[in-house]
Amino acid sequence: MSTPLLRIQDLRVQYSPAGSRGGGTIRALDGVSFDLARGEVLAIVGETGSGKTTLARALLGLHPTETVTGSIQLGGRELSGIREQEWQSIRWRRIALAVQNAGTAFDPVYTIGAQLQATVRQHLPLSRRRAVEAITHLVRSLGLDEHHLHAYPHQLSGGEKQRLMLAMALSCHPDVLIVDEPTSGQDMLSRRHIVTLLQKVQTEADLSILLITHDLAAVAQLAHRVAVLYAGKLAEIGTNREVLGRPRHPYTWALRNAYPDMGTARDLSGIRGHMPDPANPPAGCRFHPRCTQAVAECRLTEPALEHHDSRLVACHLGGLQTLLQARHLAKSFGANGHRTHASSQNGARQVVAAVKSASLEIYEGEVVALVGATGSGKTTLGKLLVGLLTPDTGTIAFQGQAITTLAGAQLVELRRRIQFVPQDPFDSVSPRLTVQQIVREPLDIQQTGNRDERNQEVHNVLESVGLPTSEAFLARYAHELSGGQLQRVVIARALVLAPKLVIADEPVSMLDASEQAKLINLLKAIQNERGMGLLVISHDLALVRKIADRILVMQGGQIIEHGPAGQIVNHPQHDYTRTLLSAAPSIDWYAKKP
Amino acid sequence: MLVVATRYVERVLRYPFGRADVRHVFSSIGGTTAVGLVLFLGFVFVAIFAPVLAPYNPDAFSGKPLEHPSNAHLLGTNDVGQDIFSELVFGTQISLIIGVGAGLGAVFLAVVIGGAAGYIGGWLDFVLMRLGDMLLALPRLPMLILVNALIGAGVWQMVITIALLFWPTTARIIRSEVQRVRQRTYLQLAHHFGSNRLYVLRRHVLPHITPLIVFGLVTSAGRAVALEAGLAFLGLGDPAAKSWGLMMRYALNLPGLLLTDRWLWWLLPPGVCITLLILSLTLVGIGLESRLMPGLRRQ
Amino acid sequence: MKQRLILYLMTLWAVLTLNFLLPRMLPGDPLQALLDPQSSTYVFDPATRAALEADYGLDRSLLEQYAGYLVGVFTADLGHSIRLNQPVIDLIRSHLPWTLLLTGSALALASLVGIVIGTEAAWRHRSMWDTSLVTVSVILSNAPVFFTGMVFLIVFGVWLGWLPLSGGRTPFADYSSLLAEMRDYGSHLLLPLVTLTLSLLGGKFLLVRNSMLGVLQEDFMLVARAKGLPAGQLKRRHGLRNAILPFVHHLASHAGFAITGALFIETLFAYPGIGQLIFDSVVVRDYPVIQGVFLVVSLMVLSANLLADWLSYQLDPRLREA
Repeated sequence: MSTPLLRIQDLRVQYSPAGSRGGGTIRALDGVSFDLARGEVLAIVGETGSGKTTLARALLGLHPTETVTGSIQLGGRELSGIREQEWQSIRWRRIALAVQNAGTAFDPVYTIGAQLQATVRQHLPLSRRRAVEAITHLVRSLGLDEHHLHAYPHQLSGGEKQRLMLAMALSCHPDVLIVDEPTSGQDMLSRRHIVTLLQKVQTEADLSILLITHDLAAVAQLAHRVAVLYAGKLAEIGTNREVLGRPRHPYTWALRNAYPDMGTARDLSGIRGHMPDPANPPAGCRFHPRCTQAVAECRLTEPALEHHDSRLVACHLGGLQTLLQARHLAKSFGANGHRTHASSQNGARQVVAAVKSASLEIYEGEVVALVGATGSGKTTLGKLLVGLLTPDTGTIAFQGQAITTLAGAQLVELRRRIQFVPQDPFDSVSPRLTVQQIVREPLDIQQTGNRDERNQEVHNVLESVGLPTSEAFLARYAHELSGGQLQRVVIARALVLAPKLVIADEPVSMLDASEQAKLINLLKAIQNERGMGLLVISHDLALVRKIADRILVMQGGQIIEHGPAGQIVNHPQHDYTRTLLSAAPSIDWYAKKP
Repeated sequence: MLVVATRYVERVLRYPFGRADVRHVFSSIGGTTAVGLVLFLGFVFVAIFAPVLAPYNPDAFSGKPLEHPSNAHLLGTNDVGQDIFSELVFGTQISLIIGVGAGLGAVFLAVVIGGAAGYIGGWLDFVLMRLGDMLLALPRLPMLILVNALIGAGVWQMVITIALLFWPTTARIIRSEVQRVRQRTYLQLAHHFGSNRLYVLRRHVLPHITPLIVFGLVTSAGRAVALEAGLAFLGLGDPAAKSWGLMMRYALNLPGLLLTDRWLWWLLPPGVCITLLILSLTLVGIGLESRLMPGLRRQ
Repeated sequence: MKQRLILYLMTLWAVLTLNFLLPRMLPGDPLQALLDPQSSTYVFDPATRAALEADYGLDRSLLEQYAGYLVGVFTADLGHSIRLNQPVIDLIRSHLPWTLLLTGSALALASLVGIVIGTEAAWRHRSMWDTSLVTVSVILSNAPVFFTGMVFLIVFGVWLGWLPLSGGRTPFADYSSLLAEMRDYGSHLLLPLVTLTLSLLGGKFLLVRNSMLGVLQEDFMLVARAKGLPAGQLKRRHGLRNAILPFVHHLASHAGFAITGALFIETLFAYPGIGQLIFDSVVVRDYPVIQGVFLVVSLMVLSANLLADWLSYQLDPRLREA
């Protein structure tokens, strides 16, 4: 890709909302820069209100001149600031736009053919006959025929109009085609049709396409590069494979996780929080109120779009942070269950290696499931990660700090940030403590705040796990609670210190199916709301795939397979994973026999 | 698609003068509703306190014929020596009674007919609405002239005939709103919860059409005032009720009126009063429409 | 379209029936009063009274009267004027052309001007021009037409003395040429025409302006602009072409307004149209003439309705489907 066909630099669109008195300026687009090469497909993705459509209109000069600043260069020619008449010769001939609502994009009183013809003859020196021929040819190549041209807009279906809109956009052979939400509001089949069609016209004409959409599946199929727009600013830009495959910006990551996809078995969860008000964007990084890893700097200064490897990311932390990183962990026990230490190993005894060289990463705000059969070493691995066990070899880093080397106050602080929900709730609470005392215990230990503040904190956290907060309930003892209530108490205790990472070992295995479902959804909801990392250790693949972003499969003390949940569930690579999947419970009696 | 088209036409039909947008213009000038309301209330005040405000009984021969304006007769006297200013003050009563009375009557009919058509639907809806279409297609003024010529025009006859002619416009609007409300889920739910029709009408339907009722009242009243003035001007009003239109009629009956200055205090004031009263109602209508019916404008 | 046609036929029938029933059914029995020597409206001239009795046939049964009435209407026999003892149809025939000339030209003029300035005002939304035009239109469309007419009459007829005060032509004039004749007719037409045009203009202007504003916000206008079409094409080919639809739809009610306005204006300017006729007849309660005029005006308004509907169907492909 040599010199770019289209170069956008520091493009801003700002206007005062009509009718407001000093209501502040709306910054619909706030300093966007990117290049588009000839023959390239660049996707602009982002939620509704991120400024995608504003961008499309700015590239055609459709905003009032005084609202637009920055530079738009097409083939080296500066377009921003040119007169309306000059724009008229650029529009459609050089840059064409297939708008979002094709349903209302055609003038209802003329036939489609007449509108196409008027467009073509406005820009190309064709006789009426030649124009009709060209249009007919074009429309045929898009899988439509003449009768569509003789029809009025209201006589056609939405899908047909979408394709005719595309035909109209292509009719003057533009250099750049902007396609605004080509697939939104369409059923799956017409969606596929449009995507294939776009693919075809792009390769045939070596067209440069700016694909504006929130449809990540279409992006994955069509785009060469992807730019992520958030609240009028670019968050990340890079190749399709990089940005969608391994998102770096927390927003990209969240966007991808919110996208429904047949490959994902997980239930959907939206991105927490809401798009900021374009008239009063938050200070600092615009994403920080919704970001799971925001630090003080994010609230103060706006991050610049900077190179990270081959892509550009606008994040002070350089993108998605690794919350926990474990390298080559190993742990062995003596044959009778006595712990052995590498240093004091007794050769006479048989040594069982529970964990053998396990490596894993957990990112900010991510739900990871660690699955494996009983005895695969997953509980040991979990305890190693929390720090309840010390690894024989290997390193663990939490938020970049090597915790294997920590001690004293630093370790106490670290424990606060990683919390553990053990497997057996009955075993993990003292029968002599009341609910209030159980949940307050970590606060008492860590000496945070005064007694009232701690009790208030307990109150809040019990509420968030859906438990009653009455005096009577607070005064209950563990044996007076049901299994589900007790497990919630244990989870509440883990949450009361506001941890960054919760490691939950078989959090629901003791409960009946209904309680399991409730609790697993609760865990996911709390995780999403608090933006924390969650590692769920479980043998129940059928259950954890509902909430996990990624799945790690463990067998014989090793992680034998890992990947996005959808990939593991739908395309397992390892035989063991396949066995696990086929053994997963199913009440479908037509399902194949194991 | 046809739905879109008809809705589009309906939108414009409903607001032929697109008052919603006029609002923008007026809000930059200054509160439309306020101006209209102040004007209108001013007329109401004059009508109520007419006996106090008017120096003479308008029917009394309080001066010589055709006096020029003076301290005794602010606007002079007419051809039989009645005080023009007092006529003007008492004329307010007639215009307001007919305007408000006919407006109320028309809106009452519109609520009953439009509400029934929209809420009950079916053949009743069809019959009522076709009846409305017919009435809309009739030329109103000749119709009124015919009726009034036949029965002789009293104030109340006029109120009733105007109300009988004016209901379809508002009824149409109310009907479509009731139809819209009827399809709302919360209304169906209310039925589902076992509420009776009266409850649903009072609790869910009426609040929706109240702004329409007020709007219909204001616009119908304005048109009724104009019609009454016109009929009186043509000599078809109640000869006993000396309205502004009738004053103009009498003035014009005087040969050569326009050739002297007399029209300045005899003809102009009632004309200005009629215009201002109608204008005040229109302005209130403009304000009401934009303030009370924001949801209706967005379709 | 067929449905509309049926509706109009039904309305026509309703008008005819109403016209028949009203004088017979209304309290006070106005028709009998004409023949009752005790009544204030008693017709003294025996010849006229005989014609009346023959026209109304009050001694026959109601059904026979109705049949006779319908036959009369369809054979253009609308009875006899009490005041002039002439066939009503002749009176209407001599007055109608004046009204048609006045309303026709006022409608055409107001439509043309309304469309042009309405389009431009919407195009320059919220500019000084737009604001002042809207203000003037609101005031103009609220002033009673006989009042504005009077002001014009005083200003142009009396003060400036430019134009004749009344009539449709100079009485007993002997025109030297066709041009002089046209000028005389024109100068008599001008004031009523301007008055009527102005009173219609406000509504038309606001209607065009507001529907144009609506159209300008439609998606297809954005696309049309994005297609690089020049401003003129945007405004007329797409904007006005769509904004005109509600205008056409309203043409019928405009015609109704125009005729109502004309009735007042003719009275005011002593213009010899049917307004003048109805006014003279009302004073002496000349029922046959009033009824005849009512019928003719209804017919005109209904035809205008039909025409407007037909035009709408021609202009809007979406309506043609139904």
